[in-house]
Amino acid sequence: MSLRQSMSGLHTWAGLLVSWILFVVLFSGTVAVFDKELTRWMIPQLHKLEQVKVGADPVRELIVERAPKAHGYWMHPPTERMPYWTAGWEPADFSEFQSFLVDAQSGEVLPKTVGGNFFLELHYELHGGLLGLYVVGVAGVFMLVALVSGVIVHRRIFKDFFTLRPKAARQRAWLDAHNVLGVLGLPFHLLMAYTGLAIFITFYMTAGIKVAYKSDMEHFFHDVQGAFEREELGKPAKATKSIDNMILKAREAWGDDSQVGWINIEHPADAAAMVQIRKAVDKGMVNDQRTVSFDSGTGALLHVQKPYKPGYKTYAWLTGLHMAQFGNDLLRVMYFVLGLVGCVMVFGGLQVWVSKREARGHRGVALVRTLNGAVCGGLPMASLGLLAASRLLPAELLQRTRWEATVFVVIWLLALVHALLRRGSRAMAREQFVALAALALLLPVLSLFGPEPGRVTTHFASGDWMMVGIDLGLLLIGGLCAFLGWRLGQERAAPVRERRARNEEYA
Amino acid sequence: MLLVFGLNLLALAAACLSLSRHHRDLFGSAPSESRVRLLRIVALMDGALALAYAIHVIGVELGIVYWACLLMIAGAALVLLLAWRPRWALPTAAAMPVVGGVLAVLG
Repeated sequence: MSLRQSMSGLHTWAGLLVSWILFVVLFSGTVAVFDKELTRWMIPQLHKLEQVKVGADPVRELIVERAPKAHGYWMHPPTERMPYWTAGWEPADFSEFQSFLVDAQSGEVLPKTVGGNFFLELHYELHGGLLGLYVVGVAGVFMLVALVSGVIVHRRIFKDFFTLRPKAARQRAWLDAHNVLGVLGLPFHLLMAYTGLAIFITFYMTAGIKVAYKSDMEHFFHDVQGAFEREELGKPAKATKSIDNMILKAREAWGDDSQVGWINIEHPADAAAMVQIRKAVDKGMVNDQRTVSFDSGTGALLHVQKPYKPGYKTYAWLTGLHMAQFGNDLLRVMYFVLGLVGCVMVFGGLQVWVSKREARGHRGVALVRTLNGAVCGGLPMASLGLLAASRLLPAELLQRTRWEATVFVVIWLLALVHALLRRGSRAMAREQFVALAALALLLPVLSLFGPEPGRVTTHFASGDWMMVGIDLGLLLIGGLCAFLGWRLGQERAAPVRERRARNEEYA
Repeated sequence: MLLVFGLNLLALAAACLSLSRHHRDLFGSAPSESRVRLLRIVALMDGALALAYAIHVIGVELGIVYWACLLMIAGAALVLLLAWRPRWALPTAAAMPVVGGVLAVLG
């Protein structure tokens, strides 16, 4: 067996095995590029921020009110992409981080939503905790395998560099699409798969930390970041000094016009209580935080973190490149488009697998087609459903975020049942496109009946182009899906002979 | 950045024309050897120019990332044009850098 033949087998089967997980990871990652914008979109009650009137101290009071005995408090002041206060706490029993958002102008607590963060968590751990993280890691390694073996398998990588023949036979057309998108997007795909794995290197390659730090990951990160720490004294805390004043001092210590990012209060109930202020993520690739630590009781400056050393800076650079928090909105639009290219590449690969085996009556075809429908059609539907839920569920609903997630899961399960009943047929695809079109076109219309600040007309009037962009994007997606659904209906009517004649032309 | 996109698109269009299939599709005949060489040189120079301009405007770190992303997106756009609107491909590739250049000068 030649290298190319063995690589071909590897590419086909290793690719097929993880392609559905990869599709989920790629799709949710693509959506999560706009996580902060989506969070904003999902809170239609949020007014445009004219002026920040709420300081850090009232926000701290709001958190303490909710959790007087927490392990640590966290807050993030409003920024351009997150025009609200984020506030939260780590519960004393180290259970899940709790958070809420505060309108920075009125001081009102905003309705709860899973926000764009839902897609981010789906992207890197499939909402499955550590196990999900490892599943995504394995899928990422397989993605690298599929990319490298794909390059070896490709026979005419340069001759077919720009070749896409949509009118050719199904298999040819999908193979072209799979190849052309895979090759053109290769730098992006390789980089994303590699840096994605690099982010969680401490989870995937644990030996070093196990030996040198006795598995204490936090200690390791403190060391490499040059962070500052204080042991608890076991005495009750003194009255706290103003955090807003500390923010002014932190800015002085930085000596530039950096925005303030995450602020945390360590050991809040102890005399060793400490306020730590970090730089916000800005336009640069690496955010080395430059954490400034203050004594909470006296307000004295304790420590200013130095810039990262080259080793950790390299890591921060690689993760920064993956997470797309640097640069401007154009960068995120480009990442979004390239992410979609990746999704279509994976889907194209699945279609090649299916159309190659369809004629032979391969046993696996029905299964693969059903899974394609359930995952590649189901996930976008569930995602749109989640957006609709965030706009439709009452603002005061108890456990609101749970209901949002439930809507997502229920729609996805319905899509699975639908795909099973239709056995992944063409009719299923058509019905999916119709459903997607209806959902996507409905969302901007829905906004017109919701709270006034979240309406597409309001965004348009105030020139909030990012929010207008999301609604326009939804309309575009809706239009495209409607068109594709209509085309699929037409195609069924078109005589087969015509298609066959075209196939010969390309043979 | 539209100028970077336009230059990238033009570079890829030149690279594309240096392949005999696409040259035949658009001009009806395979390109001569000297023309292939010329098109490839133009493609390389044009792509390099786009990179240099991107670095000049936003610095090395961001410049390379923006250039690479725009190059890939320009490639995808060119492929879509060639597949569904082949006659628009070359005019678009020629017009984009001009529009981008005008906007860069005005903006």
